[in-house]
Amino acid sequence: MSADSTPDAAPAVPGKATAAPAVPGESNTGRKHRRAKTPHAMHVRYRDDLRLFPNRLRRSALAALILTWAFIPVFWDVPPFTLLSGNGISLNTLAYAGVFSIAAIGLNLLTGYTGQVSLGHSVFLAVGAYSTAYAGSVWGWPMWLWIFFAPALGWLVGAAIGPFALRLRGNYLVIVTLGLVFIGEHIFRNWRSVTGGNTGTSAAGVELDLGFVDFENLSLFGKAFGKDESYFWLIWLVVAVVAWLTKNVVRTRPGRALQAVRDQDIAAEIIGIDVGVTGYKTQAFAWSAAIAALAGALYAPLQLFISPGDFTLLVSIQFIAMIILGGMGTIYGSIIGALVITALPRLIDGISADYGVPGVAAKSTDSGLVSVASLNVIIYGFLIALFLLVEHRGLAGIWVRIRNYFSTWPFSY
Amino acid sequence: MTTFWQATFDGVALGSLYALIVLGFVVIYRATGIINFAQGGALLLGAYITYNVSTSWGWNYHVGIVLSVLVCAGFNVLLQRAMLQRVFREVVGISAGLLGWATLFYNGTTHLVGLSGGVAIGLLGWFATARIEARYGDKGPSELPLFGAIMVTIGVLFIVKQVVASIWGFAELSVDDPWELSTSRVGGLVLQHSKLAAIAMAVLALGVFFLVDRYSRIGVAMRATHFDHEAAIAQGISTKIVFATAFAVAGGAAALAGTAATAGPELITPNLDFVVFLAFPAMILGGLDSPAGAVAGGLLVGWIQNLVKTYVATTPEWFPIEDLDWLGAGFERVAIFVVMIIVLMVRPYGLLGTEEVRRV
Repeated sequence: MSADSTPDAAPAVPGKATAAPAVPGESNTGRKHRRAKTPHAMHVRYRDDLRLFPNRLRRSALAALILTWAFIPVFWDVPPFTLLSGNGISLNTLAYAGVFSIAAIGLNLLTGYTGQVSLGHSVFLAVGAYSTAYAGSVWGWPMWLWIFFAPALGWLVGAAIGPFALRLRGNYLVIVTLGLVFIGEHIFRNWRSVTGGNTGTSAAGVELDLGFVDFENLSLFGKAFGKDESYFWLIWLVVAVVAWLTKNVVRTRPGRALQAVRDQDIAAEIIGIDVGVTGYKTQAFAWSAAIAALAGALYAPLQLFISPGDFTLLVSIQFIAMIILGGMGTIYGSIIGALVITALPRLIDGISADYGVPGVAAKSTDSGLVSVASLNVIIYGFLIALFLLVEHRGLAGIWVRIRNYFSTWPFSY
Repeated sequence: MTTFWQATFDGVALGSLYALIVLGFVVIYRATGIINFAQGGALLLGAYITYNVSTSWGWNYHVGIVLSVLVCAGFNVLLQRAMLQRVFREVVGISAGLLGWATLFYNGTTHLVGLSGGVAIGLLGWFATARIEARYGDKGPSELPLFGAIMVTIGVLFIVKQVVASIWGFAELSVDDPWELSTSRVGGLVLQHSKLAAIAMAVLALGVFFLVDRYSRIGVAMRATHFDHEAAIAQGISTKIVFATAFAVAGGAAALAGTAATAGPELITPNLDFVVFLAFPAMILGGLDSPAGAVAGGLLVGWIQNLVKTYVATTPEWFPIEDLDWLGAGFERVAIFVVMIIVLMVRPYGLLGTEEVRRV
């Protein structure tokens, strides 16, 4: 964003150019002009700031990352990955992380970009999961239908909750969304014909067949893949699509409107941003809920059996932990946060089962200071508190600082 | 009519419990603008300390109450030091000490070695953190993101709950209290002595609080800080002391609530912190920044909860729908949230809360 690397402003440091001894191998004339023309980490114009890929380096890095990620199921049993797969993290874990990434992106759209806190996202996840289980198993709907039905239902529920945010703000809204979790859980426990009550309902009958590709018996290039691999690809494909769509929303006009609402909603209203009943706040709620419900739709066939215990307040808090740890107001931060928060418990489980951490009881029959389950929750709590108190921009904030340090290296700013 | 009055009595008992919990929230919110979810942790800690002193050690129950109030007040002050003033040396020192003591004790050392080792490790942690803070810390209060403080307190709640569960286990425990299952009968009503004691405890604690808040120096300082933070500082009020006092009062109130919630026939488990979530409607209903609202909201919510519970179980004759079983078990807990949402739609700042004036 610094303007002094434009071609016109480039020789604007004459004092330095004459006084400082020339760096060996670098002439002071002409070179700066040439470097400034190439796409660079410096953002020169507003247009650069808004681009999806600011420069070629980041575009190729992202492509490489996506390519590596896509081949993970194939190479899962090959060394560097065995470090993970040998320690309790399976492809299944990564599939769960994908589902939670989708929900976290949804929550980040609402909380990170629009500034509306929701402790109720487990309810939206549940709406998606239960509706998929019911539509897929009982009605026998095909995949292309339920994968749109669940978000649509989630959208409606979100749109019904959204108007509360117009009347309430801050802490009051937090408590109302907290109430939503209790009301939702009560409904899931008591609407037995649809949700199966306390015991839950099976999603085993949900079809995962899109016609041209069947995710239950996936075969690519003549090679048949198992359930874990195909779920991994299915879910992370949806993550990629959702991340791309959401990124495009937040970097364009509606996204800037949302951020204006977050920063100062009265001022946003004054400059003409619609925050009425059908305005940006309500829509943010609706779309965020729709994304979370889409995550729920994929959660049901992955989990196979869903019960009210899967959608408690703790799940909502985990989503918030994900976006805080990853970074609020960033899309990739949601994904990083979801990966860390989902993988960490399994990693602790795996390590304490294999090697035995002193004082940690891996099984309930072992004696120890704390059980693994307790330790996991303690680490959650500790991470949330630590990140908020020490680096509240999360892992994304740390990454941005490292990147900026090297992009302007050796100058500190 | 007996049903109604019985429900009302039980409601008032539950309501005074809520009032105590909500008082803790309100006092902290009024001073600092934070909703402290870790009150649930303080409540849990208070209940278990009373249990430990009175039942495990077999000391006097009232000594247990006093000790739990003191420990919870201390716990909250430490939380406040770490969260608001970003001074971590006490927290790190005490946790390191407790952890060291527990580790030594777990490995089968004697009490003397375990305790002295714990103290040594704690002091080490304290000094090390103090050195680190002196060098790198104190960059002034940095801006937490929205609801950041709430999330910190939720994190603390998680930690405390699991630590409590690790120490005392997940099993249901019964506290040796003076009331046990004794009851009195007054004109058809069954009055549980433990509930009467809970009401008395709440009345006493709230009465002392209101007197202190109204007439003492620190009470006036707390209200002044709420009214205008900077003006209070300009008048020579130490906001550090005000914040610490507010958190200490809240910790004590939470300890009393925890003790009251586990007296009589009630059992104690690490899931007791759930009662704090049920107190949220009371807090919102009364208004976040009004101690009087805490009492009003607490009593109202406790009363409504018990009325709903009673009348859903046995539907009155005048009610058009005969059978309400389809509402499901535990509907009264949902009902209070529904009431809360309805009230908030009419008065977005609660019944007695201050309407917030928003400026651009």
